[in-house]
Amino acid sequence: MIVEMSLQLLKHPQMQFGATTFFAKQHKGDTCGSNGLPLTPNSIIIVGRAQILKTFNCKYLCQYLDVIRGKHERTIVVSQYCGEPLVSCIEKRPFDWQEVRQIAFQCIGGLQVLHKKKIIHRTLSNENILLQANNEIKLFNYGLYHMSDAGSLVSFPILHVLYTAPEVFLNGLSNSIADPKCDIWSLGICLAELILNKLLWSSLKLGQRIRKVLSMLQASTSILEKIAREHNCLERYLSIPDDLKDLIEACLNVHPNKRPTCEELLIKPCFDSLKPKDMAEKNEDIYRPFQIFTLHEFYHWWQLAGGDVPQELKKQGLIRSTPPILSIPSLVLIEGTILGQDRNPATLYDPRIVKMPLDTLYQRFAHIPFQVFYPLIHSQSDIIEKSNPPPYDATGLPLIIKERDPEYQLHRVILLRRLLHGYPFTSDLIVDEAKKDIPPLLRGEIWAALLSVRSNYATEYMRIDKYTHTSTDRQIEVDIPRCHQYNELLSSSEGHKKLKRILKAWVYKNSQYVYWQGLDSLTAPFLFLNFNDEAKAFACLSNFVPKFLYNFFLKDNSAVIEEYLCKFSQLIAFHDPQLANHLRDINFYPQLFAIPWFLTLFSHVFPLYKILHLWDKLLLCDSSFPIHIGLSILTQLRDRLLTSGFNECILLFSDLPEVDIEKCVALSSCTYENTPKSITSREHENEVYHKKSNLDITGVSLNELKNELCPRISVRDVANILLKNPHKMLLIDIRNTRAYKRCSVVNSTHIPFSSVSFTENIIENVGRDSDLLKSKGEKIVVVVGDEETDLETFPKFLLQCNISKVCVLHGGFNKFLELPASLSIPCASVGDPSERQRN
Amino acid sequence: MANRSGTAQRPNGQTQGKICQFKLVLLGESAVGKSSLVLRFVKGQFHEYQESTIGAAFLTQTICLDDTTVKFEIWDTAGQERYHSLAPMYYRGAQAAIVVYDITNQDTFGRAKTWVKELQRQASPNIVIALAGNKQDLANKRLVEYEEAQTYADENGLLFMETSAKTAMNVNDIFLAIAKKLPKNEQNTGQTGSGQGRRLTEDNPDNKTVMNCCK
Repeated sequence: MIVEMSLQLLKHPQMQFGATTFFAKQHKGDTCGSNGLPLTPNSIIIVGRAQILKTFNCKYLCQYLDVIRGKHERTIVVSQYCGEPLVSCIEKRPFDWQEVRQIAFQCIGGLQVLHKKKIIHRTLSNENILLQANNEIKLFNYGLYHMSDAGSLVSFPILHVLYTAPEVFLNGLSNSIADPKCDIWSLGICLAELILNKLLWSSLKLGQRIRKVLSMLQASTSILEKIAREHNCLERYLSIPDDLKDLIEACLNVHPNKRPTCEELLIKPCFDSLKPKDMAEKNEDIYRPFQIFTLHEFYHWWQLAGGDVPQELKKQGLIRSTPPILSIPSLVLIEGTILGQDRNPATLYDPRIVKMPLDTLYQRFAHIPFQVFYPLIHSQSDIIEKSNPPPYDATGLPLIIKERDPEYQLHRVILLRRLLHGYPFTSDLIVDEAKKDIPPLLRGEIWAALLSVRSNYATEYMRIDKYTHTSTDRQIEVDIPRCHQYNELLSSSEGHKKLKRILKAWVYKNSQYVYWQGLDSLTAPFLFLNFNDEAKAFACLSNFVPKFLYNFFLKDNSAVIEEYLCKFSQLIAFHDPQLANHLRDINFYPQLFAIPWFLTLFSHVFPLYKILHLWDKLLLCDSSFPIHIGLSILTQLRDRLLTSGFNECILLFSDLPEVDIEKCVALSSCTYENTPKSITSREHENEVYHKKSNLDITGVSLNELKNELCPRISVRDVANILLKNPHKMLLIDIRNTRAYKRCSVVNSTHIPFSSVSFTENIIENVGRDSDLLKSKGEKIVVVVGDEETDLETFPKFLLQCNISKVCVLHGGFNKFLELPASLSIPCASVGDPSERQRN
Repeated sequence: MANRSGTAQRPNGQTQGKICQFKLVLLGESAVGKSSLVLRFVKGQFHEYQESTIGAAFLTQTICLDDTTVKFEIWDTAGQERYHSLAPMYYRGAQAAIVVYDITNQDTFGRAKTWVKELQRQASPNIVIALAGNKQDLANKRLVEYEEAQTYADENGLLFMETSAKTAMNVNDIFLAIAKKLPKNEQNTGQTGSGQGRRLTEDNPDNKTVMNCCK
C-alpha cells in the first residue's frame, strides 16, 4: 500500500514529457570565421541559448528539460508535455464563458512571465496551449523563437500562419523585429476560436489563410465580429458577454502599438473574479512550496533507468536516416556552391511531438517505499530511526556505477535536495553527505554549499562592472575560445559571453590580483555546473580562490608558487624517496611540469568530467590537497618515471597519459589522511583557514625551504602522534651526547650527528640503529636537533638511503619545552629515567 | 629533406652521421600560434582549439640534414606577459629560438621585437633566432606587411619566414633553416638517448657551456 503511494507520487499527471526535433541551419561553404577559427555550429548556439529556458518554473508554462544535439545539426528539444491541446477540444465540447476567462487569464499569465524575460513566444496557438484535467493550462513550445535567435539559426519560418499577427507578414519573415505584441494577437485568435467554438478557416489552404490574416487589416468593423460572420456564428458572437468581447477585440487590434500588453490585459474587468483573493495564494508566487522532487529530477531518473529520447524519436519515425547517395548534389562549384540538391524535407519544421514512455521508470521504482521520499534527517529517537527503511546500500560500488544507478540517485537526490533546502543551517550535514558522494544532478548547488556561497550572491554579482573595457580584455578574449571547447555549453556563444563576464567581474572585484592565463580553465567547471546562474558560478570562484589558491594570482606570484612547488618536492620525498631521488638525479624539477597543475588545480590538465570528480574531493579538503593529487599522478606513472631519463619524463607530462581519476582520488585521499598537517604547511597559506601559533611552523624563508629536501614537522603534530600513536613514530635525536644526556624524549633514538659518515649513502653508516630504520615500515622518522646541529645533511642522507617519511622537527628539541600541559610528552635525563621534566 | 615522421628517428645503419642536439625555445605573444607550430612540426597535426600553454611544454623532434641527425628539444612557452618571469628558465642555454607573431595583429609583432631584444641581451651570444609570421592562411586580414618584417629580420640578423601552422606552410622549412644555420661540431655526436638531464640550467650556469654545441 505504501509502495502504491510512492507510485502515485511518480505518476502525477504533470510528470510527463515529450520531445520535438528539427535541424539547425548548416553553415554553407567556408566554415571559418574572421578569426580563423571554425564557425560554431548553429546547433551548439541553440543549445547554449536554450539553457535559460530550463530555469523557467511557472505553472502556466511547460518546463523545458533538455536540448540534445544529434548528427548533422539535428536538435532535439525535451519539454514537459501533459494534458490536451485546446485545438482538439474545440468543436468537441462547448466552453462556458467562465472557462474562457480562466483560460485567457492563465495564458496571459504565462505570456507575461515570458515577456518579462524578453522572450517572445511567436507560435502561440491552440495547438500548444495544453489543457490539464483541473482546467489549468500550460503553454508549450514557447522557446523555439528564442533558442533559434529569432529564427536565424534554423532554415524554416517560425510561425503558425493562422495565428500570426498581420504585421509579422508585412515586416517580412526574415525581419526579426522583436515585438511581444505579436503574441497578444495570437492570443486573440486562440480565444476567438475558443469562444466561437470553431476551428477557423480549417478548410482553407495555406496561401488563402495568409490572405485571410492580411484581410483583417482592412476590416472596418470589429475583427471578432468579422470572424464570427465568416464562420456563421454571429448568434454566438452576439451572446458573448461584453467583458470577454472587449478582451478579445483589444487583442485583435491590427495596430501593434495599440494592442495592450499582458499587464494591461490582466487589469481588465473580466478577470476580476479570478484574481487571487487570500494571502496564501498570493504568496505562492513568492514562496514556492517545497517540491519533493522536480520534473528535472524525474527526467534525470528516467534517463538513468534507460530512457533514451533520440531512440524514441527513431521508433516513432521522427528521425529517419536517408541513404547519403540520395543527397548528392548535381553540381558543386569550386567555391563550394552546391546546385541541384533537393531540399531534405526533414529540414522543414516538424510539428510532431513524441510523448516519452514512462513505464520502465514506474516499474523500476515500483518497490521504493514511500518513506524514501520523506527522508529522516535527524532524530533523537532510536525507535523512529530504526523504523526508517534501511538506506540503499551502494557503498561498495564504483563511483561511475553509483552515478548511473537510478534507485541510488533517487535516494541521494531526494535527501540532498532536502538538505540544500535547509542550507545554510544544514551545512554540516551536506558536508557529511558529500563525503559519501555527490549526485551529479545537484553538483552545482552542493559545490556552492561546500564553498559557503551566501544567499546574496546574485546582488553582489549584479553590482560588479563587467563591461568597461580593461587592458586584460585581449588576453581573456584569446583564451576563452581555447578553453574546454569540446564541451557544448562552453563552446556556445552564450558560454563565451558568460565566461568573459565572470572573468572580468573577478578581475574587477579582486584588484589585488591579476588575470593569469589558466584562470579561464579554473572558472570553466563552475560555469559548466551553473550555466544558468552566472552569479553563482562567480560566487563559487570567488570563494574557491582564497581557500585553495590564496595569492596564486598576485601579479608577482613567484614566491607563492615556488614555495608550493618546494612543498610538492618535499612531499614526494616524504612518501616516495626512491622516486624523489631519481627525479632529482635527472634534474626533473616540478617547475617544469607542475605549474599548470597547481595554478589551475588540474582544470587545465584534465577534461571536465575528470575535474568534477577530482574537485568533489578537493572541496572537502584544504589547500594542501592538490599537492597530494600531484603526488598521486606521479605514483600512477611511477614505473615509467623511474626507468626514464629527463627527456622521456618531460615528454610524458607534456602529453599527459590517461590518468585514472578514481584511483587518483583514492591515492591522494590516502596520503592526505596519513600525512601530518604540518608536513605540507606553508608560509603563504591563507591565515583564515590555517591559524598558527608557536607550536606550528612559521618563519621559514623560501631560501631555507629550497635547501631542505625533507619537510619539517611541527612540535604539535609530533606531540599528538607520540601521545596517541607512539608506535607510528621514530624520534631520532641527532644532538651531541651531552645535550642528549641532559634531557631527551623517552624512547627516542640517539644517533649523534658526528657519529655518522656521510661519504656514501649506506644506511649502515648510522651504526647499530640502522636496523631500526631499515625495518621501520610506515613509521614517521622525526629528526630532532637543536640550533647547533646541521639539520640538512642527516635527513638528506636518510632520504638518499631511500628511507621514507623522514621529516625534521621545526625549532629543534627546545620546542618540546614549549608544549602546553595537554600535549606534554615524557622527557627524561639519561641515567635518571624516573625524572620527568616538563615546563 | 627533413624527416618529419613521428617514428623512426633513431639513426639507422645507413645514416651513420653526426648526431646533434639543440635546445630551441619558442617565444611570442599569446595566441599567435606557438604551440600550433610545434604541434605541426612534431606531430603533423593542427587543432583549431589548441589550448593555451601554461608554464611551458616540452617536445622533441629529430630531422635529418645531409649526414647529420639533428634533434630539437623544444620548449614551448606561455605567451602571456605575466609568465615572462619564467621565460629565462627556458631560453637560458638555448641554441635556437623562434620568435612568433601573428600577421593579423600588429601588437604581436611589437611584442616579438621585444623578445628579440631580450634574447640578444640575455640569451647565449651565439643563439640562432628565427622570426615567424604565423597565420599566413589569414593573409587577407594581414596587418603586418611581409616587407616590414623582412627588413626588421635583416637588420637584426634573424631568419625570417611567414608560416601557417594550419596549412603547414613553411613550418618544417623554418626548423630546417635553423638546423642548417646551427653550427655542428664533433662535440655533440653520439650524445643521444636518455639520461642526460641537464636541460635546465637554473642553478648551474656552467651547463650552458657543456650543453652548447656551438662552442
